[in-house]
Amino acid sequence: MTVRTIEIREPVMAKNDALAADVRRRLQAAGVRTFNLISSPGAGKTALLERTLADLGDDMRIAVVTGDVQTQNDADRLARYTDRLVQAVVTNGACHLDARQVLTALDAIDLGDTDLLFIENVGNLVCPASWDLGEDATVVLFSVTEGEDKPVKYPKAFRRARYAVISKLDLLPHVPFSLERAIHFAQQVNPELQFLLTSSLQSEGLEEWYGFLRAQRHGRRAA
Amino acid sequence: MHELSVALEVCRMAEERLGRDALPRVVAVGVEVGDDAGIEAGNLEFCLAALLGAPPFRGAIPRVTRQSGDALRLAYLEVDDDRPHD
Repeated sequence: MTVRTIEIREPVMAKNDALAADVRRRLQAAGVRTFNLISSPGAGKTALLERTLADLGDDMRIAVVTGDVQTQNDADRLARYTDRLVQAVVTNGACHLDARQVLTALDAIDLGDTDLLFIENVGNLVCPASWDLGEDATVVLFSVTEGEDKPVKYPKAFRRARYAVISKLDLLPHVPFSLERAIHFAQQVNPELQFLLTSSLQSEGLEEWYGFLRAQRHGRRAA
Repeated sequence: MHELSVALEVCRMAEERLGRDALPRVVAVGVEVGDDAGIEAGNLEFCLAALLGAPPFRGAIPRVTRQSGDALRLAYLEVDDDRPHD
């Protein structure tokens, strides 16, 4: 037996990262600002997007790519609030979206007629944190019902994110959750993280969220 | 369970590097996993063993080594040049 060792030392994510770079180039060329929304299941990604589409849909041209393990439920929910395209990716068991899926989804979106693109990732705070999708920024959501130590339990997701949305603020009086401690934990793993506090049901913090999104669009156009 | 996706990508990289016909001659696949890579090394090794035990591979051994940092790399392939093609 003659065994030969072939040195490779290539990043396993190299192919995905190259596809993500293609996604980023296409979106930047079209002037589309893109956010990758990640969270654990049930943190309120779809609810926040429903409100965003309903309230900003006349003002901004917003497209959405949704990723679900099974069903098109999220895409169906969002499609009620917009006649703009909501493109569903059913991952058939995979726990994250990858750049190839997003690149394919872009073919169905008129990027010239789009200001903002949301990629609603699969609900999971572990796997999506490893995959670059070509977004401008990752937004991590976590709700007050989940426990304030989520950031230190899932540090990679919070390190990857530039923005954190603490959701379901209306439930704060009913759960043992300290906003101060949650923000402290999040800043421990990512001191640069910027926070938004929202309740999609009670409309708390949504004006700040919408202001943030409008500023993102204007920033991109000025760039 | 993204370790399975990572294991599939490692196999794809091996095929891209060697060509599909050479895959039965692979005897070991070395992967480096950083402590902050978001990968559970034992889980990745389990997934790799399952894939490398089936065609077009022929029982290659995964060798997953941990290191500091967030690297996730296909480090090397060991190929038996005497082993006949299928």
